[in-house]
Amino acid sequence: MERYTEEIRKRAGNLLKEGKVDLFIGYAGGSVPMMNRPILVRRPEEAELLQWDSFCGLNLANYLTGCKERIGVIANGCNSRNIVNHIVENQVKREQVYILGVPCTGMIDRRLVSSAVGGKDILSVSEENGTVTVETAGSKEQLNKGDLLQQNCRICTHRNPVIQDEMIGDPVEEQKGLEPFADVSEIEAMAPGERWEHFSRLVSNCIRCYACRNACPLCYCPTCFVDDSRPQWVGKGSDPVDTMTFHLMRAYHCAGRCTDCGACERVCPVGIPLRQFTRRLNRDAWKLFAWEAGMKLDERPPLDAYRPDDCNDFFR
Amino acid sequence: MKGLRSMRTGPTTAMTSSGRARSMKEQVFSKSDWLKRLRALAGSTRIYVPVKEPEFHVFRILGEGVEPDFDYRNTRLSPKAIIYPSSERLFECSLDEKDPACNIFKDVDKDRTPLAIVGIRPCDAHGFGIVQRNFDNPEYKDPWWVSRFESCTLIGLGCSSPGSTCFCSSVGGGPFSEKLLDVLLWDLGDQFMARAVTQKGETFLAQAGGGAEADQVAKKKAEEVEKSAAKRLGRTISADRIRGKKINDLFNADFWEDVAFGCINCGTCTYLCPTCWCFDIQDEVFGKTGDRIRNWDSCMFPLFTLHGSGHNPRDKKVQRLRQRFMHKLKYYQDKYNAGVQCSGCGRCVQHCPVNIDIREVADRMNNV
Amino acid sequence: MEHVGIEPGRLHFSWISSAESTKFVDVAKAVSEEVMSLGPAARLVKKRAEVM
Repeated sequence: MERYTEEIRKRAGNLLKEGKVDLFIGYAGGSVPMMNRPILVRRPEEAELLQWDSFCGLNLANYLTGCKERIGVIANGCNSRNIVNHIVENQVKREQVYILGVPCTGMIDRRLVSSAVGGKDILSVSEENGTVTVETAGSKEQLNKGDLLQQNCRICTHRNPVIQDEMIGDPVEEQKGLEPFADVSEIEAMAPGERWEHFSRLVSNCIRCYACRNACPLCYCPTCFVDDSRPQWVGKGSDPVDTMTFHLMRAYHCAGRCTDCGACERVCPVGIPLRQFTRRLNRDAWKLFAWEAGMKLDERPPLDAYRPDDCNDFFR
Repeated sequence: MKGLRSMRTGPTTAMTSSGRARSMKEQVFSKSDWLKRLRALAGSTRIYVPVKEPEFHVFRILGEGVEPDFDYRNTRLSPKAIIYPSSERLFECSLDEKDPACNIFKDVDKDRTPLAIVGIRPCDAHGFGIVQRNFDNPEYKDPWWVSRFESCTLIGLGCSSPGSTCFCSSVGGGPFSEKLLDVLLWDLGDQFMARAVTQKGETFLAQAGGGAEADQVAKKKAEEVEKSAAKRLGRTISADRIRGKKINDLFNADFWEDVAFGCINCGTCTYLCPTCWCFDIQDEVFGKTGDRIRNWDSCMFPLFTLHGSGHNPRDKKVQRLRQRFMHKLKYYQDKYNAGVQCSGCGRCVQHCPVNIDIREVADRMNNV
Repeated sequence: MEHVGIEPGRLHFSWISSAESTKFVDVAKAVSEEVMSLGPAARLVKKRAEVM
């Protein structure tokens, strides 16, 4: 995956040089280990700043909405599905985006790297062929990338882009034989009281920073429901019911649209496993409507359209 | 190093209830003994200690079943929430028309038990001094903040191993800075060495039963710990020339668009920061009771500057991001002439989801 | 909602046309009985803001 950086720089530079796009959105290296930052470049020489590695876990589709220019963008599997979603939801036009598709073997969860070295201050991290080398003040450890993957990447079945104008590298093999919704079953094994305790505990550390909402490509409403004041649907403070309402309602707004990119979990400053709110809805979309978000440009999502054979058995 | 340990705690009313400690003698406590004495005091004082939770450390009140972990770098959220909660009921009123006090806001009863934060890092204590300029000054004293802060004793734990994102010494602090502290502790392995900085600190140590006087061995070890800590500080920031620059030159600089692109306008930097202080007032009604509640707010949020008229002077992301750094690194310096509004704790650097780095922005501003 | 722990029996759905008055009465009665038998709701109920 590290080899793609050179290709990406070349192709992005060419796109800008040839004037095929007005701007290119990708990742540049960060100022601290394990971090990359989203960048927007307009000049061909700036393409040298671009890079791609296993820490590109933010969803760049987040930056497309509201842009009126011709955009070049890098997209792996989940990110490309969000671009499809944007097109289906009329947030961006297909002709407007030029997608450099990148096959993905998964993104690394920084927190797992940190705990693998006992929380010690990490000075540098590098990766090569699935081996991750972590340097702290007193040690240098080699870890297996497979052990450090984000939770969503472990069960990903769409690692290759579903839409692209150019592909960087050859497609990777899709993962098979996974139990995709084991985490949902775990919750279902609990009694209602236990579930309520579980979810209440999950959001007890929430500080209402809205990083999850803001990092999510699906959340592009001009005024989010939590920011409404007339009427005020949700309180803005740290009351636990208000906080739970925010997370539940946000999950509902993502129902049938979430590509499980994991950006929400990645950006949460207090490490809340937020995907637990959307996972059940993702499974329902699959089980009840045979639907996976962002896979088809020409089909309306199930919560967008009524079909006579829609699931009805919960109605009296 | 001497300069860093000066008692310049802030203007005017800083430490009104406490002067310099009368005795500067260092004391030592074994770590287990120290904990025992803290537990003994925990009945009469709400003592906050760092506790290890699954994801990170957090300050919790010492009590039964609460085990402190002083072997930590820093808490995820700064202790500013202890003095300035993220949501607080300021006033309440009855909405019952039969009540003679209907619609009259009254003060809310608050827990007035004295507070102590044991194991606070010097950067966070320094942070309180910065926030104090906003909440406790000649023009305005915020009664909620002031009453809690005045009843709070800060027992700081010097940093033996600063992190790679720490830069306290380049913003007027240091790993063993005494700023705003009542007591400073050195971790000497199996014991703590303590020195009272203020009379409040002396009182606390006396209430804790006092320790044995520190001998030369302990003092030497403490000196070594300090020296090695200073060497390990991460990248420094240069903000010395920002003070002398014209506001408009900084405001109109060309790098803001670049820096702001990735920003997702969340409140992570603001809420984790020990020196941010902005808030929003919300009124809530439940049945026949009305509450006026103060919540943390962030200048990064799009609605932060939304006017009642509907106009929003900072409705573009770049304007908000510029505002944050101009406020912290320029306006605050100009207004108070006391350095930048940053204590170098490094939390924003570690946790900004898109890696916007205040150290880099400061450099850019410094070089305009 | 049940996934996050709201007790089964609190949330009900029904298709009722404005011409189906009897059905409306029956469903209203049935839902009321079932919900009341669960007792007062305690989960996801906002009372006075739980803040300091």
